Amino acid sequence: MSLITVDNLTKTYDKKDVVDHISFTLESGKCVALLGPNGAGKTTTLRMLAGFIKATEGTISFDEDELTKDFRKFVGYLPQFPVFHRWMSGFEFLVYVGQLADLSKKEAEERADELLELVNLKDFKKMRIGKYSGGMKQRLGIAQALIHRPKLIMLDEPVSALDPIGRREILNLMRELKKDATILFSTHILNDAEEVSDEIILLNNGKVIEKGNINDIHSEQETVTIHIAFSEDPKFVMERLKEIESVFQVTNERGEYQVSVHQLLIARKQLLDLFQKENWPLTKFEVAKTSLEDFFIKAVNK
Amino acid sequence: MQFQVMFKKELLENWRNFKWIWVPIVFIILAIMDPITTYYLPRILETVGGLPEGAVFSIPMPSPAEAVGMSYAQIGSIGVLIVAVISMGTIAGEIRSGVYEMILSKPVSYANYIMSKFSAYSLIILLSLIVSMIASWYYVSLLFGDIAFSTVIVSAVFYTFYLLFILSITVVLNTLLKSPGLVAFLTIIIVIALNIITDIFSHVLTWSPLMVSNHTLAFLYDGSLTSELIGSVSLAIIFTALLLVVATMILQRRAFD
Repeated sequence: MSLITVDNLTKTYDKKDVVDHISFTLESGKCVALLGPNGAGKTTTLRMLAGFIKATEGTISFDEDELTKDFRKFVGYLPQFPVFHRWMSGFEFLVYVGQLADLSKKEAEERADELLELVNLKDFKKMRIGKYSGGMKQRLGIAQALIHRPKLIMLDEPVSALDPIGRREILNLMRELKKDATILFSTHILNDAEEVSDEIILLNNGKVIEKGNINDIHSEQETVTIHIAFSEDPKFVMERLKEIESVFQVTNERGEYQVSVHQLLIARKQLLDLFQKENWPLTKFEVAKTSLEDFFIKAVNK
Repeated sequence: MQFQVMFKKELLENWRNFKWIWVPIVFIILAIMDPITTYYLPRILETVGGLPEGAVFSIPMPSPAEAVGMSYAQIGSIGVLIVAVISMGTIAGEIRSGVYEMILSKPVSYANYIMSKFSAYSLIILLSLIVSMIASWYYVSLLFGDIAFSTVIVSAVFYTFYLLFILSITVVLNTLLKSPGLVAFLTIIIVIALNIITDIFSHVLTWSPLMVSNHTLAFLYDGSLTSELIGSVSLAIIFTALLLVVATMILQRRAFD
């Protein structure tokens, strides 16, 4: 079931299309990464979906028909740089925004306690936000996005500014949240997208240049390159390598052989068997990391 | 409901940043400073000396009403500045820091947002003006002679509408500009400009909101409710309301970069 349909969404600033006629649908219960280099239009897209800025052109429709007037009721939004009222405590802030989202004071307080527990800030409940660290603010930011049990959670660069520990915490949290909500988050870090998302939407210069299931994109990328080097080149090495059926291309660069193969597991076994049988003086055997990284660069440079 | 939540938050914020304490204190100082120094001026000059032998001067003692008028003169200049300064960042600062984005990502109505802020500052201004005028009344009665308490308090209520009109100008500028300092500066410039215009055309603009201060003084002197006073106060209220509507509309339409 689709939760949101975005059709030809465009935002123009100073005659430049920051977001350029993008269309996509978000399926309910999925975790989708909005991926792209800095300046691709990720934040602008999210802000339009959060109802914070108006689109120049195009439509955003939620499935709850009669409620579409104000998206903000069922969207929880974490800005890229969350800023709070520094003079409030974490608990006070959550209760405050909870009440703004039409919870009663009592409901908001209960929910705030629940969320502080979830994001691991229970011990800092009464501390002024001004004293929070960056990672704590990010977690509080996620908590405030969840306060009114939104159908869609949108997180703008939730982990980019964090240290490895903070990043790990947030990713684990997102994995938790994924179980019962739809998440749309933006990132320019591929690893994060790979780790938690089911689908990606790749943006560049305001346009969608690729979208789909992360596994599908992986399988398109199934050709792998293996770097091989010998202390002394054996005779007919090129020919022998090319004879192996899973190998489809061999090149030699600076004394190193770049062997492109289709199925890594089979190819690796066949290659190693050959080297052992022939007793070739192998000095290097490295499977190059082809992952979304290459795909990303290729797609962005297209 | 939402308005109450936001209004309470504003009150709490102004409590935690001590505006509830320093604004009334500064207003009290402004209100009592001139009557007291005027009263003690002959004695101060006597003590300090430096006057030629045998020099005689007499400073006419102001009437109680005139002494209260001195309080308004101070509040009319420095008090206006304080109104601009306390409210200069109320929206502009939140937009600049980014808290605005966090708050407005919840289903918050723009009108509630503006009104909660206006109401919270109105309350501070009203309270500060009332307590400062009570202080003024106390010292004036002590030093210059009797003046009706009720007259002073009613005049303070009228005067409040003048300050609220200025507050609404600050609120509009808050929605247009990102820099709190610029908001305060422009508010002062606008008030000065409006004052000059009103002075030049004072015979036609008797109902101008800026004339509230003049008419309040007249009320203080003879206690009569003139049509000019009622007229200018009414116009001040109408303009304040209009400016708040304008501020709401600006905020609604403003595209954020």
